[in-house]
Amino acid sequence: MHFDFTDEQYQLRDAARDFFAGESSAAHVRAMWESDTGRSPELWAKMAEMGFVGLTVPEEHGGLGMNEIDLVLLLEEAGKAALPEPLLETTAVAAPTLLEAGTPEQVKQWLPRIAAGEAVVTVQLGGAPLVADAHIADLLIVERDGALHAVPSDRFTATAQPSMDGARRVFTVEAQTDDGTRMDADAGAIAKAFDRGAWAAATFLAGIAQTELDMTVAYVKEREQFGRPVGSFQAVKHKLAETLLVVESAKAAVWYAAYAIATDAADRSQAVSVAKSYATDAEHKANYESLQCHGGIGFTWEHDLHLWLKRGKALAPAYGSARWHRERLAADLFSA
Amino acid sequence: MDLNLTDEQRAFRDEVRAWLEANVPAEPLDTSGSPEGFEAHRAWEKQLYEAGYAAIHWPKAYGGRDADLLTQAIFQEEYARAGAPARINVLGLGLAGPTLMVYGTDEQQQRWLPGILSCDDIWCQGFSEPDAGSDLAAIRTTAEREGDDFIVNGQKIWTSLGRFADWMFTLVRTDKDAPKHKGISYLMIPMDTPGIEVRPIVQINNDAGFAEVFLSDVRVPAENLVGELNDGWRIAMTTLGFERGTGLGAHVRFSKDLQELVALVKALGLADDPLLRDEITRHFVDTEVYRHNMYRTLTRLAGGKPIGPEASLNKLFWSQMEARIYETGMQAMGDRAELTPEADAAADHDHWHKTYWYSRASMIYAGTSEIQKNIISERVLGLPKEPSGAKG
Repeated sequence: MHFDFTDEQYQLRDAARDFFAGESSAAHVRAMWESDTGRSPELWAKMAEMGFVGLTVPEEHGGLGMNEIDLVLLLEEAGKAALPEPLLETTAVAAPTLLEAGTPEQVKQWLPRIAAGEAVVTVQLGGAPLVADAHIADLLIVERDGALHAVPSDRFTATAQPSMDGARRVFTVEAQTDDGTRMDADAGAIAKAFDRGAWAAATFLAGIAQTELDMTVAYVKEREQFGRPVGSFQAVKHKLAETLLVVESAKAAVWYAAYAIATDAADRSQAVSVAKSYATDAEHKANYESLQCHGGIGFTWEHDLHLWLKRGKALAPAYGSARWHRERLAADLFSA
Repeated sequence: MDLNLTDEQRAFRDEVRAWLEANVPAEPLDTSGSPEGFEAHRAWEKQLYEAGYAAIHWPKAYGGRDADLLTQAIFQEEYARAGAPARINVLGLGLAGPTLMVYGTDEQQQRWLPGILSCDDIWCQGFSEPDAGSDLAAIRTTAEREGDDFIVNGQKIWTSLGRFADWMFTLVRTDKDAPKHKGISYLMIPMDTPGIEVRPIVQINNDAGFAEVFLSDVRVPAENLVGELNDGWRIAMTTLGFERGTGLGAHVRFSKDLQELVALVKALGLADDPLLRDEITRHFVDTEVYRHNMYRTLTRLAGGKPIGPEASLNKLFWSQMEARIYETGMQAMGDRAELTPEADAAADHDHWHKTYWYSRASMIYAGTSEIQKNIISERVLGLPKEPSGAKG
């Protein structure tokens, strides 16, 4: 029994951490708020070169052939950096879903392009009203009438719906689906695709919460009132101890869910619902305490904190809110 | 990452499971707070000892099985799953014994370890005092050297099983002039020594589980000193580390509590109450996440890494979770929650009542939640300590 990562997995995490620190700094995220598309093709190309984008694509299609256990720490780092690019949709959901439920033609056409950084894929599952990054997506994987379709960009139109998180670009879409777009996805594959999204969103949220906590700890060590750092007051330090508890626990939850997805464990959906509901609540706690402990400065547009606060609020309902996932768990818990 | 058991671990699990199924008393034992109940628990401990399960974590040289941490966790999981009786010599087997293995002389080990293992000697812990709780180093019980003996005077409190224990491991002040952490020694005291008076303390759940221990001119042989004179604080900190490292399989207990809560709510006809469902599902999520946290801790420990302040995170997590689970149960019982089992109209949930109040204690003992938060914020997050004036 080993509930930890290998040295190689930690090396990948460290590489991702260094990469995002340079390439997805707060200044970069802020620049994406201001830019037209909110996306950087240069950054996406570099991420593909690092192997991040094609991490879940099999080696025979040009990727790294890794699974969720390898991916989870990368997603956590992306969350910590509030990365604007659609790593969650393309790498965590679309690539493995294409691999498992795409027709042979769809697999051959799209997986190599994903790994090469030439194709961005976004997804719309579980009746979600909004689609992230539809404006730059080459392919949309969409759930319609109990089937999955892989819809190329010339067969869907996207209408921008401005988000409070300027680095998020979300859209309503009109997609033309027919037998030519249909994937080989049964109900189980559709459920698994959704679980991947919920797990990835949970992991991203755990990373966001970690940065909210880190920024706050750094701030309360510096900021002095009454002649001492505000971080020495128990009213403040106890809030942050409670926050650390839920953030660390959220990580354990998303790690286990990664394991459950990668190994197709019997409790996969349960593990995902535990992870999404817990990580959402953990980020909620970090969101509140971080703003509270920053005081007035954290409420300014100029301070970087709100870049993370808003991503957290935007991702909380994605792939099922905490309450939705608890109701899914309750159905099992109270059955019979 | 791999959560499968090895063949050997699976075999051990099956062996333990079969033994427990065959041997765990069908009817729950009386509370160990009564003399009869205590003896019933001692008999159960004997049974465990004879089957070789009393202290699997002890080295073979001392009569244990040299079980590694994962094996210990498997045992504890099975133990909790079987609903086996509460262990009464936890302090002897988990704290006094391991402390002696590290700090005791050969003679002391030979003298005390066999009795601890066989449960012929039940041990209690004499640390807390009326004015030394969270601030343990403030203890005032003194031990003054007189010839070959120490003369001990003072008072210990919150001594679990103090009424029935045969031995007490204590912290006593042996140098009043030294800084408070430097003048403390670790002393083993037989509970039948003249000058010891034990007064049971009735808890708010009406159990007399712990006691006050008054010590008046109690003469203790100097050979009962463990480690060096005035080195007791360091030894005790090691001991408390053992305590925070236990409970490896405890997540199973909380999962069982949660299943009981679900059963209770169904029995009360409240399974469709949306607010109650959501609240209970939150607790379920907590029990699952706690299980994942325990896997993480276990992997760290098994890899030889220190658990350190992570232990405070685990303690804070489970104690709050336990209290919430039982709080929900009490609220679900509605008007009848206030009734004792003797009441005609009482809901048939005696266990729930007793444990409800005990769950409230979990946020106090073994370091209060507030102390845990101080430890987490100062030692993990690196936040500044309170100014020294606030700590006395």
